[in-house]
Amino acid sequence: MYELIKFIPLFPLLGFLINGIFGKKIKSESAIGGIASAMVGISFILSFLLFWDLLSNPIEKPVIVSFFTWIATGQINIEIAYQVDQLSVLFALIITGIGFLIHIYSIGYMHGDRSFYRFFSYLNLFIFMMLNLVLASNYLLTFLGWEGVGLASYLLIGFWYDQKFEGTRITWTGDAGMKAFVVNRIGDFGFIVAMLLIYVTFNTLNYQEVANAAASQYGTLMNSGIITAITLMMFLGTTGKSAQLPLSVWLPDAMAGPTPVSALIHAATMVTAGIFLIARNSVLFSLSETSMLTVAIVGAVTAILAASVGLVQNDIKKVLAYSTVSQLGFMFVALGVGAFYIGVFHVMTHAFFKGLLFLAAGSVIHGMHHEQNIKKMGGLKHYMPTTYKTFFVGTLAIAGIPFFSGFFSKDEILWYAFSSPHGGILLWLTLAVSAMFTAFYMFRLLYLTFDGKERFDHHHVHPHESPKTMTFALVVLAILSALGGFVNIPHALTPWVHSNPPFMEFLSPVFAQANFILGEHSHEIKPEMYILMLLATAVAISMMFLAKKWYLDPSWKKPRQLAKEHGFSYRLLLNKYKLDEFYFFTIIDPIIALSRSGLWKFFDIGIIDGIINGSAKATSVVAENLRKMQTGIVQNYALIMMVGIIAVISIMIFGF
Amino acid sequence: MSLSVLLFGILSILAVASALITVISKHPVRSAISLVFHFFMLAGLYLTLNAQFIAAIQVLVYAGAIMVLVIFVIMLLNLENENKLKSKYNILQWSAFLLGLGLVFLLGVTYLSTGTGLQFAPEIAANNSTAQALGKALFEGYIFPIEAIGILLTGAIVGAIVLAKKKLS
Amino acid sequence: MMQELIYALPLTLIFILSIAVIMVDAFTGKNKTVAYYFSIAGLLGVIIAAIYTMTLPSADLAKMAYEGTISKGMLTYGGYAAFFDILFAVAGILTIVAAKPYLTREYGEYKEFYSLIIFAISGMMTIAHASNMVTIFIGIEIMSITFYVLAGFIRTRITSVEAALKYFLLGSFASGFLLYGMAMVYGATGTLQLQEISAKIATGEIVNIYLQIGLALLIIGLSFKVAAFPFHQWAPDVYTGSPTVVTGFMSTAGKAAALVAFIVIAKSLLPTNFGATLINDKLIVVKEFTENATMIIALISAATMLIGNITAIAQKNVKRMLAYSSVAHAGYLMMGIVANNENGFAGIVFYSTAYMLMQIGAFVVVGVLERDDTKFQQISDYSGLRKSHPYLAAVMALFMFSLAGIPPMAGFPGKYLLFTATIQSGYTWLTIVAVVSSIISMWFYIGLVLNMYFKEKEGDALVADVKSSHFTIAVSVIGVIILGILPSFLIDLAKNFF
Repeated sequence: MYELIKFIPLFPLLGFLINGIFGKKIKSESAIGGIASAMVGISFILSFLLFWDLLSNPIEKPVIVSFFTWIATGQINIEIAYQVDQLSVLFALIITGIGFLIHIYSIGYMHGDRSFYRFFSYLNLFIFMMLNLVLASNYLLTFLGWEGVGLASYLLIGFWYDQKFEGTRITWTGDAGMKAFVVNRIGDFGFIVAMLLIYVTFNTLNYQEVANAAASQYGTLMNSGIITAITLMMFLGTTGKSAQLPLSVWLPDAMAGPTPVSALIHAATMVTAGIFLIARNSVLFSLSETSMLTVAIVGAVTAILAASVGLVQNDIKKVLAYSTVSQLGFMFVALGVGAFYIGVFHVMTHAFFKGLLFLAAGSVIHGMHHEQNIKKMGGLKHYMPTTYKTFFVGTLAIAGIPFFSGFFSKDEILWYAFSSPHGGILLWLTLAVSAMFTAFYMFRLLYLTFDGKERFDHHHVHPHESPKTMTFALVVLAILSALGGFVNIPHALTPWVHSNPPFMEFLSPVFAQANFILGEHSHEIKPEMYILMLLATAVAISMMFLAKKWYLDPSWKKPRQLAKEHGFSYRLLLNKYKLDEFYFFTIIDPIIALSRSGLWKFFDIGIIDGIINGSAKATSVVAENLRKMQTGIVQNYALIMMVGIIAVISIMIFGF
Repeated sequence: MSLSVLLFGILSILAVASALITVISKHPVRSAISLVFHFFMLAGLYLTLNAQFIAAIQVLVYAGAIMVLVIFVIMLLNLENENKLKSKYNILQWSAFLLGLGLVFLLGVTYLSTGTGLQFAPEIAANNSTAQALGKALFEGYIFPIEAIGILLTGAIVGAIVLAKKKLS
Repeated sequence: MMQELIYALPLTLIFILSIAVIMVDAFTGKNKTVAYYFSIAGLLGVIIAAIYTMTLPSADLAKMAYEGTISKGMLTYGGYAAFFDILFAVAGILTIVAAKPYLTREYGEYKEFYSLIIFAISGMMTIAHASNMVTIFIGIEIMSITFYVLAGFIRTRITSVEAALKYFLLGSFASGFLLYGMAMVYGATGTLQLQEISAKIATGEIVNIYLQIGLALLIIGLSFKVAAFPFHQWAPDVYTGSPTVVTGFMSTAGKAAALVAFIVIAKSLLPTNFGATLINDKLIVVKEFTENATMIIALISAATMLIGNITAIAQKNVKRMLAYSSVAHAGYLMMGIVANNENGFAGIVFYSTAYMLMQIGAFVVVGVLERDDTKFQQISDYSGLRKSHPYLAAVMALFMFSLAGIPPMAGFPGKYLLFTATIQSGYTWLTIVAVVSSIISMWFYIGLVLNMYFKEKEGDALVADVKSSHFTIAVSVIGVIILGILPSFLIDLAKNFF
C-alpha cells in the first residue's frame, strides 16, 4: 500500500514531459488540458487512497519508501526516498486536490492563450516539485523540491512576460519573476546553512533520524546555541518561500502571473511550504524557545502589517496577495506558540478559501476583460451570479464568520496565541486586530466588486459569467470553504464529545515528540474561550456592516474623508510601508554599485581601456594599441599579482 | 671569510647592479649590454660552484645567441619614445620597485634568520655538473622529460610560424 | 618494457600524433579536410587507448610507473591519468569540430590550428601522467605556450593579439614562480620525485623554511594557471579576446590540467594524516605550516568565487560574463584541493568533466551567434532568442542552469560533491561562502535565460551559423543531462582513482 507513494509524483512528471515535449504538436486545447488535469487527478486518487489507509490504520512511525540513491558520495548520499506519514499525505492530498480543481479551471481561463501547452506543462512541473518537497524523507530531496517549485513559480509569474506590470522598479512581468527569484535566494541561503549545521550536528540529513536524535537528547540540546542557529536559519528559509518579513516583498509582485497560478502557487500550496518545513521539524523548533518566539513574533508582525496594507489597495489581486501574506503570518504564530497541528489546519482551510477567492477573482478579471481595479467595477453580482455567490462564501470563511471553515482555524489560532505558555495577550491582540482588518478589507473588496453602482465603461466592458469549467472549481471550493472546518470542531463547541477532534487526532503521531518536549496543552474548557470566540465573531460581523455602510455609499464619503485626514498613514499603507524602496536603497543598489564601479573598475580596467576602445577605433595602428597596453594594464595586473605573491609568502613564513 | 664567499659577494653585487641598469636605463642598447654583463656575472657564480659546463652553456646560449637576437630586434624597431612613457607611469614603477624590494627582503631575511645561512657545496656540484654527468642524467633518468621538451620546442616553432606567417588566406 | 609501452600508449600516441599532424599538414597542400579528420581520428585512438589502460589492474600500473624503463619514476599510468587523457581528448574533439565553421567564417581556416590543439593536449596529458616536478613543469609549459599562440590565432583581430600578449607576459611571469617553487622544494627535500618528497615530509627530515617558501611559490604559480584570485586578472581579458572556440577549450581543459597538477602536488606536499604516535617536534612544525598552506588555498578559493561571481553580475557581454564565471569556477574547483581527501579529488574529477561539457557548450553557442570579433555578444543581443532560435535558446538555458548548479543538470552533483567534501575536512565556512557565491551567481546565469525567454528583441534577429557545431552542442547537452541524472557511475569511478 505505502509503495503507492512512489507513483504520486510520477504522474505530474509524466504530464509535464508529454505537454512539454509534444505540446506544440497537440493542437487541441482540451487534449492538453485534459492530459494535464488527468495526471494530477490520478495523483489525487492515489493520495486519497493513502490518506484513507492512514485514517483507518494510523501509524505511529513514518514509513520510508526508497526509490534509488541519486548521488552517493559515501558521506552524505542523496536518496530519492519518500516518507509516508500523516503530514506528508495530508499535504499531498491538499496539493493534488486543489491542484486538480485549478487545472480544470485553467482550461477555461487560459482558453485561446498562445502558449496553452506551456502553461499546463509548467503547472504539472510545479505539482511534481511540490509533491517532492512534501513527500521527501530527507532535507536534500525537500530542498530539490523547494528549488523546483521556485523555478516553476518563476516561470509562471513571468508567463506573460511581454505584458507591462506596475511595481517598484518593475515595468515588465518578467521582472516580477526575477524579483521573486532573487528574494527567494536569500531564503535558500538560510535553508542551505541550516542543512549544513544539521549535518555537522547530527551527522545525517534524514528527517526521521534527525528528529529521533534530537528528541532522545533533548535534555542537553534544549535551548542550545546550535539548535537555535539551525532553527533560525531554517526560519529564514521559510520567510523567503512563505513571504514573511523581511522577505515578504516578492509575493504581491508575483500577482503578475496568470490568476490560476496565484491561486495554486501563491495562495494554496507553495507559500505554505514554509509552514510544512517548520511542522516537519517541529522537534527541532520545540527545542529552542528563542526560535519559537521569533517565529511567533515575526508571524504576528507580518500578519498585522500585511493586513493593514490590504485595507487600502485597489487591485483585486493585490488585496488578496496581502491577505495571503497576513494569513501566512497567522499560521506562523500557530507554529510559534507550539500549536503545530492548528497551523497545518489553517493551511488546509486557507487553501480552500483563498484558492476560492483567487479563482473567483480570476473569474471576475476574465469577465471584465482583464480589468483588475476594483474602483472600476461594482454591481457585478447581476452579471456573474455564481462567481458572486462563491466569492461571498469565501469572504465569510476568511473573515471568520462562525461555522465557515476559516472561523474554526482562526479561532483556534487566536485561542492558542492567548493561552499557550509561548503566547501572551500581546500576541493575541495583534492577531485580533489583524483579523479585524481582514474582515474589513475582505468585505470592502466584496462590496466594491460585486455590489453598488456599476462603475465600468459600458461601451467597452461587457461583464459575463465564466464558462462551466471555471465555475465548477468555484462551486467545489465554495462547498469546502463552507464545510471544511467541521473536521476539527474545538472542544468548547462540543463539550459532550470526549475524544480529540478528528483532525488533531489524525496528526497527533507526527507531533508527538514535539508535544512531549513542549509539554501537553490542557484540553479543558475555559470560560475565556467563549468570551474570545464571541468577541472575534462580533468584530467580524461589525466589520461587515461597517464596510457595507462605507462602500455602498456611492460617494465613499467616509473613507475619502479618512484618507484625507490621515494623509501620511494612508500614503504609507498605499506604498506598502516603502519596504521595496528600503531594500533597493540599502541592499540592491549598493551591491550593483559595488559590482559596477567598485570591483569592476578596480579589477576590470583592461576591457575598458584596452579592448573596447581598441576595437572602437579598429582602424588605428595595431602597434599603438599594443604599446598602450604594454605600458599600462598588464603591468597593473602584474603589480596586483605581486601583492598577492608577497601576501602568500609572508603567510607561509610567518603564519597567520 | 673564505675566498669563495668573497667571490660570491662581488659577483652577486655586480649581477644585481647590472640587472638594475638593464631595467632603469633609458637607452635600449645600454640595457642590452648590461644584460650581457649580467649573464657573465651569473656564469661566474656558476664557476664558483664548480659547475663549469653550465657556466659555459650560460655564456654560449644567453650571452651569445639570445642577446644577439635581442640587439637585432632593438635595432630593427628603433625605439625612441622612452622618456615620454616613463613620466606617465612613475607611480607604477615606484610601487613595483617597492614590491620587488619587499620580496627580496622577505626571502633574504628569512634565509639568513633561520640559521641555514649561506651554504656552499661545490664538491657535490663538481661531481654532477660535468658534461658527462649531465648527459648521463638527461638521457637515463630524465629521458621522458627530454622527449617532452622536444614536443615543447616543436610546438613553439609551429606557433611562431603561425604568428609570423605573412599571407592571410 | 613491452608491457610498459602498452601502459604508456595514450601518452605515446598523442606525442606521435602531434608530430604526425604537422607532417599531414605539410603533405596535403591546400586540402584542409585531411588534417581535420586525421586529428579527430588520432584523438579517438587516444581515447580508446586510454580506456584500455583504465581497465588494467592498478597495482601493476603503479609498480611499472615507478620502475619502468620509459618512465623512470617520472610518470604514472592508468587511473585518474587515463581518465584525464579521455577528458582532454574529448575536449579536443569537441573544440576541433566546433572550430571548423567558426574559423572558416571569421578568419579562414588554418590547418595549424589542429596541430596546436593536439600539442596543447599532449601538454595536458603530460601533466596528468606526471609524478615528478620536472614532468609537471614541462607539461604546463607545453600547454601554456600553445595556449599563447591559440589565443592570438586570429592575427587580424586586435583583441586576439592583445589577449595573446597579455597571456604570454603574465604567464611567463607565473611560470617563473612555479619553477622557483619547485627548486625550493628540491632544496628542502633533495628530490623532485613526488612520492619521495611525501615520504621525506612524513618523517620530517626536511629543511622547513625552503619547503615553506617552495609551497608558497607553487601555490602562487598554480593559482595563476587555474586563474584564481588575485592571480586571475589575465583570465577575463584573455578569455574575451581569444577566438571563442579556443576560449572554450582553454577555460575548461586547460583549467582541468592545471588542477591535476594541483591535485598531485597537494596530495604529496600537504599530508593530512599525521599518525598520532609519529608526531615529534619536527612534525608538529610541518603540520602547522602545511595547515597554513591549506588555509591559504581555502582563502584564495573563497575570494576567487566571490570576486568572480560578483564581477560577473556587472558584465554586459556574454563572453566576458562566462569568462568571469570561469574564474568563479576555479574557486569552486579549488575547494577539492582544500578538502584534500578522496571525495574532494573525486569532486574535482567530476566537476571538471561536467564543467568541460557545459562551458564548451556555452562558448560554442556564443561562437555560432557572434560575428566579426565582438558583434552580437551583448546580453541584450540575446533577447528573444527563444523565438528566433528556440533550439539554441533551450540548450543555452540548459548550460546556464547547469553552471548555476540547478538540478538535475550535471553542475549540481559536482558542486554537491565538492561542498560535502569540504565540510568533511572541516572547512564548513568555505562551504558557506561557496553557497553564498553560487546564490549570487544565479543572478547573472538566470538573467541571461530571462533575457532569452522573457524579453523581446528590438531589431533583427540573430543569424546562427551552426553547421558541424551541432555535434559539439549535442554531445555537451547529452553529457550534461546524463551526468546530472545518473552521476553515480562517474563518482564511483573517480573515487577509485584516489
